[in-house]
Amino acid sequence: MAEAAVDQTATPVAEASGLGKIYRRGAEEIHALREISVAFAPGAFSCVLGPSGAGKSTLLNLLGVMDVPTAGTLRVAGATIAEGGRLRLSEGGRDKLRRENIGFIFTEFFLLPTLTAVENVQLPLLWADKDDRAYAAELLERVGLGHRLTHRPTEMSGGEMQRVAIARALINRPRLLLADEPTGNVDTTTRDGIFDLFRELNADGLTIVLATHDRELAARMDRVVHVREGRVVEETA
Amino acid sequence: MSFWRLALRNITQRKVRTALTVLSIAVAVAVLYTLLSFNKGYAASLQQQLQRMGVHLLVVPPGCPYEAASLLLKGGKPPTYLREAVVEEIAATPGVQIAAPGFMSAIMHDDRTDIYYGMDQRTVALKNWWTLKPGGRWFTDGQTDGVVLGSDAAVTELVINEQTDLFTPGSELWVPELNRPLKILGILEPTGTQDDGFFYVPMAVAQRIFAQPGKVTTVAIRLDDPAQAGVIGAQLEKLDGVEVITMSELLGTQQRMMESAKLLVFAIVFIAIAISAIGVLNTVLMSVFERTRDIGVLRATGASKMHIFSLIWLETLLMTAIGGGIGLGLAVVGSGLLERAVVAGLASVKFLTMNEHSRLATFDPRIVVMTLLFVLGIGLVAGVYPAIRASRQEPIAALRTE
Repeated sequence: MAEAAVDQTATPVAEASGLGKIYRRGAEEIHALREISVAFAPGAFSCVLGPSGAGKSTLLNLLGVMDVPTAGTLRVAGATIAEGGRLRLSEGGRDKLRRENIGFIFTEFFLLPTLTAVENVQLPLLWADKDDRAYAAELLERVGLGHRLTHRPTEMSGGEMQRVAIARALINRPRLLLADEPTGNVDTTTRDGIFDLFRELNADGLTIVLATHDRELAARMDRVVHVREGRVVEETA
Repeated sequence: MSFWRLALRNITQRKVRTALTVLSIAVAVAVLYTLLSFNKGYAASLQQQLQRMGVHLLVVPPGCPYEAASLLLKGGKPPTYLREAVVEEIAATPGVQIAAPGFMSAIMHDDRTDIYYGMDQRTVALKNWWTLKPGGRWFTDGQTDGVVLGSDAAVTELVINEQTDLFTPGSELWVPELNRPLKILGILEPTGTQDDGFFYVPMAVAQRIFAQPGKVTTVAIRLDDPAQAGVIGAQLEKLDGVEVITMSELLGTQQRMMESAKLLVFAIVFIAIAISAIGVLNTVLMSVFERTRDIGVLRATGASKMHIFSLIWLETLLMTAIGGGIGLGLAVVGSGLLERAVVAGLASVKFLTMNEHSRLATFDPRIVVMTLLFVLGIGLVAGVYPAIRASRQEPIAALRTE
């Protein structure tokens, strides 16, 4: 499988410096992330590896601009989200950034049950006042679901649903694809198929960050960022 | 994919619940539309009928005419009278086509009140919509015998006299005040008005019964040009001992009475609408709570808070618009049937529909538009709170919801 050329000197697609996230539950403070400094170069296929509760999902949520940090600096797709723990991008700006530059894949697929496969894929375009059913169909074709365009999620297997979710994450031609435990709800055969798909997408130049606790899967990645108790403990390439 | 399509898919997710909500809106809208169109139709028919009666001015003795009418209907005597000679003075006024004198007074019995109306051929000419049952005829001017019964009066007399057959022209009616019978010349077809309850006698007979020779109680006037009612009314006011009422004043009184009744009915309808609006709010709010995760997905895929607000608002509007459309359809079709039922059940409104062009429930595009705008307004208001609740969802928190 061809691998994308990664230019480590280029401006990272996503870059965190001293990043922290504290959740408050009443008087209690939960430090989900502490002093995370990490950068993802264009075309990199990286993995965030760690046990449950290590902070993988929190890191991906921050990189995906679905949540905001409480400390540190975060830059994604050329925009400064936060600097020195202070928010620099408005909520509308973060929505736009997410809409135009980021694709997100969840463990639980999160497809809308009332929509068909192709409509689920088209969904992100709605927020940009665009509609491109042909491209949505093309993406479904690419993930191997060209014959399932008008099927609803309830009529599909877990693997098929995850492929629809991948196609949905690609519809806005993102600069950064984030996948949080994308193979957590599928069997190993399906897992390998999905991983191969990520490889293909990366070979086309897409920057991918995948969070997993699956060491076997992580071993197949170009770079692994080990996270434990909210900190980066090791990086392997 | 469009916003509309997504909203439509969302509201059809829970079909039964949506259908019930839509039904409640449809019923409220149908009731609102029916009442509005009935109200308009009733007012229009009333106005049309009053205009058609061709009475443009009414001359009465000075004093409060409504108090006098009220006294009369309770069996009292009119407090004051007009000189009969004034009728000719009115008739001589330029622009007056017919001046028809009337003498109305009542006799109180233990269990009923008989209202006599003395008149002549000029009243018959004025009230040209009156028709007599077959075989009947009116008394001629100068005749000192004869009575024509209003349709209700005929039935009342029948019961009092314990007779089984309806009066027929030619039979007699005993009048104790005259100490002699009057020959029944005819029976009036039902008019649906108070005219049905009167005994119509020649003017001289009425004056004799009530011992008021040379007096009348009203003069009903038809003008050559109804537009001149104000000017001619002002001229007639100068005559000695008269008060002039224009039909527009009478209509105004009628309309004010209708307004009071309308206010009460509409208050009830608005309560029904408020209940259905709360139903809509509840349905949409429930759906927002149930779809918290889906809303998280929309936010995660780039939807802004405004997108979510608009989507939920659109869902509410769609529901109310569909309900409104169904309700209007039902009302337009159903009001015709309802009108027939109302007319069959209430004799008092029959006279409003005697003319084939008169309808109680009128189809008016303005009422359709008004009702639709109103229901959309309800949708807009009812949708605000659920839409705000939905748009406040943060993507991550929403996605974590079980």
